[in-house]
Amino acid sequence: MSALFTKRSNALLLTTLGVLGLGAAGTIGGLLLYWRTPYGTNQNVQIVQPVQFDHRHHVQDDLIDCRYCHSSVDKAPSAGIPPTELCLSCHSQIWNKSPLLDVVRQSWFANKPIVWTRVHKLPDFVYFNHAIHVNKGVGCAECHGRVDQMAVIEQVQPLTMGFCLDCHRNPQPRLRPLEEVANVRWRPPADRAALGAELARKYDVKPKVNCTTCHR
Amino acid sequence: MPPLSLPIHGQPAPHRGPEQRWRSLAEAAGSADPAAGSYPDGDEAAPDSFGRRSFMQLLGASAALAGLSACKPPREKVVSYVRRPAGVTPSLPGFYASALSRGGHAVGVLVETHEGRPTKIEGNPGQAASLGAAGLHELASILDLYDPSRLAGVRRDGRPLAWSAFLQEAAGLAAAHEKDGGARLRLLAEPTSSPALADQRARLLARFPRARVHAWDPLAEDAARVGARLAFGRPLEAAYQLEGADVILSLDADFLASEGDHLRNARAFASRRTQAGMNRLYQAEAGYSVTGGAADHRLRMRAGEVLPFARAVAAALAAHHGLPALAALGAAAAGELGRTAAAVAKDLYSARGRGLVLVGRRQPAALHALAAVVNAALGNTGVTVVWREPALLDPLAGVAGLSALARELAAGQVDTLIVTAWNPAYTAPADLGLAALLGKVPNLVYLASREDETSQVAGTVVAAAHPLESWGDLRGRDGTASIVQPLLAPLAESVTELDLLSAFTGQGHLGAWRLVRDGWKARTGEAGFDQAWDGWLAAGVVAGTARPPVAVAVDAAAVAAALAAAPVPPAGLEACFAPDDKALDGRFADNAWLQELPHPVSKLTWDNAAFLSPATARRLGLADGDVVALSLRGRTVDAPVLIQPGHADESVTLPLGYGRTQAGPAGAGIGFAAGALRHAAAPWIDGGLELRKTGRRHALARTQEHFSMEGRAIALGYDVGALPHAAHELDEHRGEQATILPAVDYSKEEYRWGMAIDLSRCTGCGACTLACQAENNIPIVGKEQVLKSREMHWLRVDRYYEGTPADPTSVSQPLACVHCESAPCEYVCPVNATVHSDEGLNEMVYNRCVGTRYCSNNCAYKVRRFNYLDYRGTMAPVSKMLQNPDVTVRARGVMEKCSYCVQRIERVRIGARSQGEKVGGDAVVSACQQACSAEAIVFGNLNDPASRVARLQQDERRYDLLHELGTRPRTAYLVRLRNPNPELA
Repeated sequence: MSALFTKRSNALLLTTLGVLGLGAAGTIGGLLLYWRTPYGTNQNVQIVQPVQFDHRHHVQDDLIDCRYCHSSVDKAPSAGIPPTELCLSCHSQIWNKSPLLDVVRQSWFANKPIVWTRVHKLPDFVYFNHAIHVNKGVGCAECHGRVDQMAVIEQVQPLTMGFCLDCHRNPQPRLRPLEEVANVRWRPPADRAALGAELARKYDVKPKVNCTTCHR
Repeated sequence: MPPLSLPIHGQPAPHRGPEQRWRSLAEAAGSADPAAGSYPDGDEAAPDSFGRRSFMQLLGASAALAGLSACKPPREKVVSYVRRPAGVTPSLPGFYASALSRGGHAVGVLVETHEGRPTKIEGNPGQAASLGAAGLHELASILDLYDPSRLAGVRRDGRPLAWSAFLQEAAGLAAAHEKDGGARLRLLAEPTSSPALADQRARLLARFPRARVHAWDPLAEDAARVGARLAFGRPLEAAYQLEGADVILSLDADFLASEGDHLRNARAFASRRTQAGMNRLYQAEAGYSVTGGAADHRLRMRAGEVLPFARAVAAALAAHHGLPALAALGAAAAGELGRTAAAVAKDLYSARGRGLVLVGRRQPAALHALAAVVNAALGNTGVTVVWREPALLDPLAGVAGLSALARELAAGQVDTLIVTAWNPAYTAPADLGLAALLGKVPNLVYLASREDETSQVAGTVVAAAHPLESWGDLRGRDGTASIVQPLLAPLAESVTELDLLSAFTGQGHLGAWRLVRDGWKARTGEAGFDQAWDGWLAAGVVAGTARPPVAVAVDAAAVAAALAAAPVPPAGLEACFAPDDKALDGRFADNAWLQELPHPVSKLTWDNAAFLSPATARRLGLADGDVVALSLRGRTVDAPVLIQPGHADESVTLPLGYGRTQAGPAGAGIGFAAGALRHAAAPWIDGGLELRKTGRRHALARTQEHFSMEGRAIALGYDVGALPHAAHELDEHRGEQATILPAVDYSKEEYRWGMAIDLSRCTGCGACTLACQAENNIPIVGKEQVLKSREMHWLRVDRYYEGTPADPTSVSQPLACVHCESAPCEYVCPVNATVHSDEGLNEMVYNRCVGTRYCSNNCAYKVRRFNYLDYRGTMAPVSKMLQNPDVTVRARGVMEKCSYCVQRIERVRIGARSQGEKVGGDAVVSACQQACSAEAIVFGNLNDPASRVARLQQDERRYDLLHELGTRPRTAYLVRLRNPNPELA
């Protein structure tokens, strides 16, 4: 009886195995790469919000501090979305007939909250805390970018675990004086490394990289 | 189907009104609207129905979206406040003071809320009954708040009724009763200390002078009040000062877990259980209680023998120690009982002025009176026990009042009965036949939070609000008032007892807030009231409302007469009724946390059982789980048997609160109804019980099957005198030990978290387990899963017996993950899901866990818990509101375990470091530590030599559990000390 498989089938088998192996590795690798692309991390997507709120105007033209609206950023995990009341503290006086603010006025008079769409989203098992970062000299712009230049808020950093760990392992290049934390236009001095080292000492910056630092 | 107004290619876009959303910046600016008329003729008219183009468009879009949505989840919405409530910072918890009622008395609590959503109940350090600790029922009552089976609204004859309509009907009913002064109107209420309810009852009785209020509490402390009346001429309330008591004789009083101010008592008792000046506790009891487990001498006797024993002690005091005042009260006993009594009497006498005799609620009034006289004769009164006017409006709430009401109901003398007492159809002694009598009342208005046996027979059922949804007030046993304030608006339409009563007093329109506030305004005056009120709400107590102790003089002759007339111990097998440690009288039977909590002594879950001693079981040929028919006074109930080491012979303990026929999903059909055997003539201790084997078996889900330590050094205990000689023995269980992996040096770290658990203080009550469950989102698994040993409690309390099965002592040992520095679980995990932090926490990373369970296999302490099933899959949406947002909710297939409350560590750390401060050595309080009334658990920073935990870990009593394995646990134990009387050794 002749052989069941010809010699050629050896090559065929090896090729098939190779293709399958490469395909599996390629799929896994491709997915890993995909989730690291700006598309995978939801970066640079302009989200349509119920109110056409323009940070450019409020930050650049009116010079309003981030903490005026995001008032719990230095004392709580969440920076805080301003209540309708806060919008109207100015806009009951100015632009109080602007159609752009219809939704805000409706929210106030109907006592119905404005439902925004979240732009910067961390997974539910990540317990990020704004207060400690802001109080240790990590500026708003480090993660949120030049909000003063954004017509519509978009996510500029990947906000992946690798992004967090880069800074937690070496925070000094990201530090700035506490007075400049909310100043998105702050320009670091030429020798930022020296400043970072000094600030880390001054503010006792010792970020942890334990799992439970963020996951509880 | 209405026409879709989607922008169809080739059709004009619909006009964008001011309220419409915009899809692009250009559209928002209005520049995207195509000019009218720029389309071919005939295309301008939009189809007025769901056309082919719309259909094709939707089909294509939904197919495309289905593909997209598989890649990316929809974006989350964030909802801001319209107006932020004062004091609320989103993402930070708030704490509000309130009070919960226990037997009508206030227990102060602090309630943790997240954006208006209560998630956990903790003790109020400023309130005398709590002192910052919380008991099982306080901790678990938050689960009742989110119970999906709660009633809503008003139901009359099976139909819903609006509250406003009910108010009108009540007004009409009240007007009808007014004609004859309310002669046919009755109120059946629970004893309460609430000043606002007192006002309403006074108004009710002023309007209906011939109406009557009956108080009923199946666990009433009537005997204590009647005893005080015998001794002092008035029904005073005893308050114990256990800090000053060197020798304590407890006569069937479970004062550390289920009676009186047990949280305060446990705190004071535990403070005297460490080396210096240790107290000594004699506990005479039939069943094995938590207090019995903490005793130095547990005097095992039938409940009916406690009175003769006490009289023997009195006789010995009179005969040998020159207290002739007690001669008429005593009655010498022979044999072993007499010898024990003599030794106890000698000890009590030598500690006169520093001793205490206290009596449990099940014992007859004459015994309470005797104890009062003995305390007075020994000079203990005013030192270890002080007397006050009772805070309750109804000091007597026992069977007598209920029997009177039953007679009136049977005679048809009641037209309208308002029931605010919990479920009297179930709790009433069986011989009263109250369930049938209640069904005959023409107008029965019942205030209930859930369906129960009484709601089945009530014509009108009014949904009761949870205490966390209610305004009200209460007093503690010392008279100190607390305001009960709501944490949220009622989740379902429901009212408080105040609202219901006020509907009949013409104040139904005011609401509970006005009633309480106006009442206090009238009591304290207008001046500065608003500020004072805010202060009371913030502090949780109304300062300066405590009642002063009263001076008392005993009437020994009256007590002697009462003792002579006291009932003799019933003959035959003794039936001893007891409130269940978890379900109480049955009102917590629907609480799944309590059902799943292992019973402090028997470790039984999801059941009750007839407890009897090994010898009695042998005599009757019974084994654990045998179902017997219990017969008492002609009534029969089937019950499983549980053999309880240390139980008195020829006595059976029957825990109340189970065997509910009408209850929620957690409570119905579980256990047996001991109350169905209860007789009004002998509600606590009865004789002539008969047990007949049925041949059936019942599976009892117990979480600890091994009761001995199998000869290993696990929970260590020493007599206090022997401790100095045991140092070398203890040295084998502490100090340096070789480890498998190279040991890590943590001494240079800023924080080295650790725990110390003092077995000498621990009573084994189980509050730590519940506090942990509430804090860490621990799921409920149910009886079937517990039978498979799949309970999820991160912290368990092991209880070991020592000595003979007939009369053992016991040690309770709380055990959670001990955070080994050289952790066996870590080096077997194939995916690094359990790792160590630089501060020494053994971390569990849920996202990495693939569920091999190797870690649990390799854990020497067996503290890891695995999610075998999706225990939250069927959770009602309202129940999800209970979850602590600071702790991840775990999924199926994931291992979990104690995290040392890492969310609390990080909250404190971030709070301190944001201010540029260091975390204090004692600043982090774990949930178990916070709940513990005995202060047995201490958590903190071991690298801060001034911290309490660092000092305790240096204590001479310290030892490490399974030290020989070289795991270097961060949780250290302190050995249990006992202080036995050498004469009884």
